[in-house]
Amino acid sequence: MATPSAAVPARPRGALLRWGRLPTWFRYLVLLAALIGIWQAYKSISGVDDLLFSSPRDVADAFWTGWREGTLARTTWTTLKILAVGIGIGALVALTLVAFAALSQIGEDLLRMLVAIFNPLPGVAVLPLALLWFGLNTNALLFVIANAAAWPIAINLSTGFKTVNPTIVAVGRNIGLSSRRLITDVLAPAALPYAITGLKTAWAFGWRTIIAAELIFGVAGADGGLGTYINNAKLFLMIPQVFAGLVTIAILGMAFEVLFGVLERRTIVRWGMKTST
Amino acid sequence: MAPLALLKDTRDLPLSGSTQDSSLRGEVPAATATRANGAGGSVLSVDRVRLGYWGNRGFHLAVEEATFDVKARERLIVIGQSGSGKSTLLKAVAGFIAPTDGAITVAGRTSLAPGPDRAVVFQEFDQLFPWRSVLENVAYPLRVNGWRRREGAARAREYLELTGLSHAADRYPHELSGGMKQRVAIARALALEPVILLMDEPFGSLDAITRARLQRELNAILERTQTTLFFVTHSIDEALILGERVVVLHGSPSTVREIVDVEDVGPPDSPGYAEMRIRLRELLAIEGEDDGDA
Ligand SMILES: Nc1ncnc2c1ncn2[C@@H]1O[C@H](COP(=O)(O)OP(=O)(O)O)[C@@H](O)[C@H]1O
Ligand SMILES: [Mg+2]
Repeated sequence: MATPSAAVPARPRGALLRWGRLPTWFRYLVLLAALIGIWQAYKSISGVDDLLFSSPRDVADAFWTGWREGTLARTTWTTLKILAVGIGIGALVALTLVAFAALSQIGEDLLRMLVAIFNPLPGVAVLPLALLWFGLNTNALLFVIANAAAWPIAINLSTGFKTVNPTIVAVGRNIGLSSRRLITDVLAPAALPYAITGLKTAWAFGWRTIIAAELIFGVAGADGGLGTYINNAKLFLMIPQVFAGLVTIAILGMAFEVLFGVLERRTIVRWGMKTST
Repeated sequence: MAPLALLKDTRDLPLSGSTQDSSLRGEVPAATATRANGAGGSVLSVDRVRLGYWGNRGFHLAVEEATFDVKARERLIVIGQSGSGKSTLLKAVAGFIAPTDGAITVAGRTSLAPGPDRAVVFQEFDQLFPWRSVLENVAYPLRVNGWRRREGAARAREYLELTGLSHAADRYPHELSGGMKQRVAIARALALEPVILLMDEPFGSLDAITRARLQRELNAILERTQTTLFFVTHSIDEALILGERVVVLHGSPSTVREIVDVEDVGPPDSPGYAEMRIRLRELLAIEGEDDGDA
């Protein structure tokens, strides 16, 4: 919309090229409808077994039923709860390590080493150990999530604090800020872009890790999460439910993208602090 | 809107010297009152000060010895070539680094930690808080120093008007030009009504035209506020346009080569100005063509 019309030569274009002028949501809606259409077409034409592949209609049915009756809602809630608590624990661990690193050289070295060791490790890789230590319960999951979340948060926070513009810190001291307010009012907002990146990565890692861990867990009593839901549905050959679980995961993933997008637009984008897109 | 036009209207602007809006001024924390302290005496005294940095290769001396003082309402310029320790000296006055020898006294107090009685304007454009609007950048330091939200905002608006930025109050720093950012920083520092205003080449990163305009504006503003000024630059013209006395730093590590009175040099096209320019060039030991530096 910012493009002046003069910059766009008035070339005659085919109807398809008008595509770009349609509203974004509408373009995505059309594409989504087309994808579902292909899905349905494949299902109808190929005659693939219902036990292998569900039609969009069956999946939609299973999805609505799951949410109306509460099974999907309950399992989603369980997963999100564990994820939130796990990332919270990870963030606390990260914060402690970063604070220690800020205060001493040994803390800094420790942080670097721990990050180098644990960050490349896929989150689920520690699941067998977690099961051994905590048993087949939520604590094991929390441990795995906290581990997946702590390292990206720690790296980003520590980079964030280290790269705070020294002039701004000098201004903070000059206007008479106490050390405590220097941290809360200057260092924290200055490191916000990195904090958000850390949280985003933690969320992405944690999300993949918890679903994978739940799938491996299989049955875990009444308190199963989304992964468990999918696994159970597969065991009982309720294929539309398997798909409905996947759809839920996809929708939640997109919802969090949007949420982080809004958060960024209201903060670091608005303040011109976001460097990369 | 031209800020200079605004300056002519002296009625409702925040002034230290003339109008006494006591409802506003009553809120001012200790710092303001202390300026009276400098009646005739010196507000800042730098006495045989030695400054340097501890680095990997031991102690690096930046200023060997400096002695001078700044009287109340005076505008003192410290001039020196790049690396002569001007910024070091300013940081020491601001309280960011301590002298290894000698004493810096501001309004009767020595060994001061950084504080708003010596508000600083830096050279860097990124000295504003990016997450605060222009108004908030000026108002927040006031709140930190005990002002209530509404009074602080009102005072911030007055100083934004003084620097010709009323129209940009709600913008964020990244939406401003370099010159506007420096004006905000000046408004922020002045709003704190410092005992002495410290400026470290605040116009050094601006283009020549903007720099000349901001120099004129600063002159007019200081005329109004009567703020005591400690200004650091490597530009002779800037020193002559803004200054009353010029401390010439020379060498590295540096010493004070001379303190020159430039209050009466006249306008830039006068013979007195040209003469003083040549003298300062000699004192700074600048060689080669004089291609102008302001
Ligand atoms: N943070 C620092 N650590 C070590 N040496 C410094 C530091 N800042 C400046 N110096 C040195 O001190 C000397 C004076 O620097 P500075 O005060 O910045 O000069 P100026 O502002 O006049 O250009 C220079 O030799 C410079 O290299
Ligand atoms: Mg400097």
